[in-house]
Amino acid sequence: MSLAKYLALDKVATFFNIIRQNGGIRASLFKLYRQDELKDGVLVGEDKYGNKYFENPRYFYGRNRWVEYSPDYHMNYDGSQVSAEWFGWLHYKTDLPPQQDPGRPKYPWMAEFTENLSGTTGQYTPYSTTRPKVEAWEPKAKA
Amino acid sequence: MSLAKIFSVSSRVRASGASSLVVRHAQYSTPAQEGKTEKVYPPTSPGYKYVNAEDPNMTMKALTDRAAQTLFWTELARGFAVTLAHIFKEPATINYPFEKGPLSPRFRGEHALRRYPSGEERCIACKLCEAICPAQAITIEAEERKDGSRRTTRYDIDMTKCIYCGFCQEACPVDAIVEGPNFEFSTETHEELLYNKEKLLSNGDKWESEIASNIRADHLYR
Amino acid sequence: MLRQPLTRALTLSSPARAAPLAARTFAGPPPPPEKFEVFIDDKPVMVVPGTTILQAAAQVGVEIPRFCYHERLAVAGNCRMCLVEVEKSPKPAAACAMPVMKGMRVKTNSDLTKKAREGVMEFLLVNHPLDCPICDQGGECDLQDQSMAFGSDRSRFTDIHFSGKRAVEDKDVGPLIKTIMTRCIHCTRCIRFASEVAGVDDFGTTGRGTDMQVGTYVEKMFLSELSGNIIDLCPVGALTSKPYSFAARPWETRRIDSVDVLDPLGSNIVVATRTNEVLRILPRTNEEINEEWLSDKSRFACDGLKRQRLVTPMMKDSSGNLAPVDWEDAMVAAARALKDCPPNKLLAVAGDLADAESLVALKDLVNRLGSENTCTEQFFPLEGAGIDFRSSYLFNTKIANIEEADLILLIGTNVRFEAPLLNARIRKAYVHKETDIAYIGPKVDLTYDYMHVGDSASVVKDLATGSSSHEVLKRLESARHPVVILGADQLKTPEGAALLAYTQELALRLQDKLEDKNWKVLNVLQRTASQTAALDIGYQPGVGKALQDGPQVVYLLGADSGVISRDQLPKDAVVIYQGHHGDVGAGMADIVLPGAAYTEKRATYVNAEGRAQQTLVAVSPPGRAREDWKIIRALSEVVGERLPYDSLDEVRDRLSQVSPALVSYGDVQDNNYFAQARALAQSLQKPVSGKLDVQLKQLEDYFMTDTISRASPTMAKCVQAVLKQKQSQY
Repeated sequence: MSLAKYLALDKVATFFNIIRQNGGIRASLFKLYRQDELKDGVLVGEDKYGNKYFENPRYFYGRNRWVEYSPDYHMNYDGSQVSAEWFGWLHYKTDLPPQQDPGRPKYPWMAEFTENLSGTTGQYTPYSTTRPKVEAWEPKAKA
Repeated sequence: MSLAKIFSVSSRVRASGASSLVVRHAQYSTPAQEGKTEKVYPPTSPGYKYVNAEDPNMTMKALTDRAAQTLFWTELARGFAVTLAHIFKEPATINYPFEKGPLSPRFRGEHALRRYPSGEERCIACKLCEAICPAQAITIEAEERKDGSRRTTRYDIDMTKCIYCGFCQEACPVDAIVEGPNFEFSTETHEELLYNKEKLLSNGDKWESEIASNIRADHLYR
Repeated sequence: MLRQPLTRALTLSSPARAAPLAARTFAGPPPPPEKFEVFIDDKPVMVVPGTTILQAAAQVGVEIPRFCYHERLAVAGNCRMCLVEVEKSPKPAAACAMPVMKGMRVKTNSDLTKKAREGVMEFLLVNHPLDCPICDQGGECDLQDQSMAFGSDRSRFTDIHFSGKRAVEDKDVGPLIKTIMTRCIHCTRCIRFASEVAGVDDFGTTGRGTDMQVGTYVEKMFLSELSGNIIDLCPVGALTSKPYSFAARPWETRRIDSVDVLDPLGSNIVVATRTNEVLRILPRTNEEINEEWLSDKSRFACDGLKRQRLVTPMMKDSSGNLAPVDWEDAMVAAARALKDCPPNKLLAVAGDLADAESLVALKDLVNRLGSENTCTEQFFPLEGAGIDFRSSYLFNTKIANIEEADLILLIGTNVRFEAPLLNARIRKAYVHKETDIAYIGPKVDLTYDYMHVGDSASVVKDLATGSSSHEVLKRLESARHPVVILGADQLKTPEGAALLAYTQELALRLQDKLEDKNWKVLNVLQRTASQTAALDIGYQPGVGKALQDGPQVVYLLGADSGVISRDQLPKDAVVIYQGHHGDVGAGMADIVLPGAAYTEKRATYVNAEGRAQQTLVAVSPPGRAREDWKIIRALSEVVGERLPYDSLDEVRDRLSQVSPALVSYGDVQDNNYFAQARALAQSLQKPVSGKLDVQLKQLEDYFMTDTISRASPTMAKCVQAVLKQKQSQY
């Protein structure tokens, strides 16, 4: 064991590296506030909604991939904002990030991704998709 | 046959560790020593770990040690030390909305109705999913569409009845109804979970990339 | 015209089917053939000569799979699914066509039989598409069931990579039947039904082998009043119901036994519903009435139950338009009108589809208000015995006994469209029993040959008085089981009473001469499902007399046939309409009370034979509509003349007080007051000269005859199709 490691100097180096990667002390403090955690990692990709996906195998399985939600969401980030393309990678179903996966279909009818809109004005409300079962008689109005 | 040998082979006895069994074993295997039960308690042979509570050591030294530990709160100090050590360790939990746990491609989450690559909806209203649904969560009404094809006019799933067993996607002959990967669809009201056909189709349109990828990942086993 | 040789007719009357007929005492006792013993799977069974292996197996409860064989159709023997091993026979034999021989030993479960079945099934499936998920027959498909039960458990089919399966172009056979001919397995049941039962020789096969096709040869629609039955007959999904297409699966529908009310026969039906919606109507086997057939109007008019419905009470507002109101307001308004009306100015009219419960409730209410004016729309002459004897207005021979008849005389009734299933019986007798049919009236197509005796009422008079020179008189007099059927429509004319008197005279003269003393000759074929019950309860037939008094309040109980119009009523008359469809009656009403249709109430209907049957609740009435007798009961409370029954059982107690026949469900009581009726009618035998005319002459007249079928889009399509067919060169 090297002396640096023995004195945990590598941990200190990592700490400063994390601060640097997260954009300085102010930015790091903000991130810590927003995400409760500061990590360093490789930027694997970014989806079209501005979410950034990172990986660092130094962390154990389950923590080695993470998403940094788009700054647009500010503190209103939500688990359902991870777009469908990146969902599989983030959940360790596949190791191929979507931009490298040729098997992912891109049909013109595929819809924009939306987060879970429950509790907002955009929430889904059920309605009947069928015609009414009985047509009532309409009396002829007198002219 | 020595007792130790018996203990070493009889893993069942070791696992249960009941002394009465041990004794019975000894009796059974050594008929020569009739009437004389050799009670070894607790057993000391190698390869054997006694897991039941043992009587405390009651020598003067042991008693004094125990009293001193209680008196000087050493347990407390040791407990704090363990807690302190964990602050510097990597946490064992995951930071959920940013880090997510592993899922299988077969994961059965929120339902979706899929389309063919042409954009035509797959569902042909065969009603097999409705028939097999053990929770009777699916309601389908169908009629002939203008072009003469068989289509649903109503495809409702009561997500609050659904038990996510996946029988519907197993029953579907055209891979139309699938349980997609999404599990983050909790809602604030009950009615939002009464999905209709439009909602299910829009789920399919939203999640097609991931659904198709999952089906491909699993195609060898289907 | 198809008419089986006598030998065939004998073969068809196998012991299994002949049994109920033989049980009737009046049936001529045929010499009992000597039975002999055969063995099915080593089980001994005694059979009469001429029994096929399949029938013998059925007697011991051994089921042999079949596609082409149907017990009510001729044997075709072309599907080969019923192959069984017969001991000491080199090849397996087709059980449906092979008569058993003495001591024959049949093995229905041997390896050879199983192998034969698997082979046949494999050949059938090679050319059958694998489209069960989109096939409407799925779940009730003989091919599905039998391939599970008798087919091989693995496939050898690899052909699809280079040549594919057989495909056949679909045929357009009309708005009721959808054809997917690729699914056809050529059992020819539809062809045999069309030519034997429906009497329309349109279907047939063309080509051989792979090129064989079932079709209509030329581009022609299959238009018959019984066409829907080939949907039930088709063992696969080649012929399915168009209005019901893709609507539901058999396992998700609730099936409720009920009774049809769209024709006077009261065919037994099964109403298939789901989520409070009538999806389709299927026949229910009743050997006494409809066997297992159902006419197209009864089967397909059910979508009329969802259109033009009255769902809320309505009242005329200040501008004279009907506007929805609460039950309470409508009831109070109706009660006020009833109360303010002088008793002799109150008129109640019952329509075609009224049930016995509401009929008796309405009559009780009107009587309590001091009026005796309760009428039906259909007329029946009151001179002579009038409606005092039930036998005067019933179909006394009974439908099933038609098969025993050897000569049938139809007077002014197009049975084919007035009661299609009665016509099917007559045709069955004609085909299998060599029965002859004579007909008086305008020339119509009855699907079988008949002696046309003329179209004038005087012909009936001549026959009755014995002065006719027509050969039919001699034939009638020598017949062992003659039947005379008079259409109720003929009684509307001023000469109706005389015509009825002559018909009674003729029928009774024949009946008196018969050896079989239980045989009834006289029949009056009513046109509507409500008429018999209404007459039993004591309604006056026809509204003519009551209208002349200038009624001030008219209570229409589903009266929609247009015999009453606003012009015939005084200007300030109040019309209360109670019914389930917005049609003529609701259109002229001041107050509308929404009632329930026949699928929505448990109600009693009495068919033309006098057989009481009940419908059951299949769906609940739409909107704020209520069961009819309950509306009248509630109204009586508001009027202040409370009717003394609160539950259906109590109404039925009241019905049984009026006539026990009204609640003896399923039974027909014999009527024996013919002689008295005849004596009372003697004085009415005045000279007649009018021509007999029937209302329903052509197929297009048949489909829309009442409020339900008039509201049905399917029936409208049928009419269009028939008219279109007439333009066609075929």
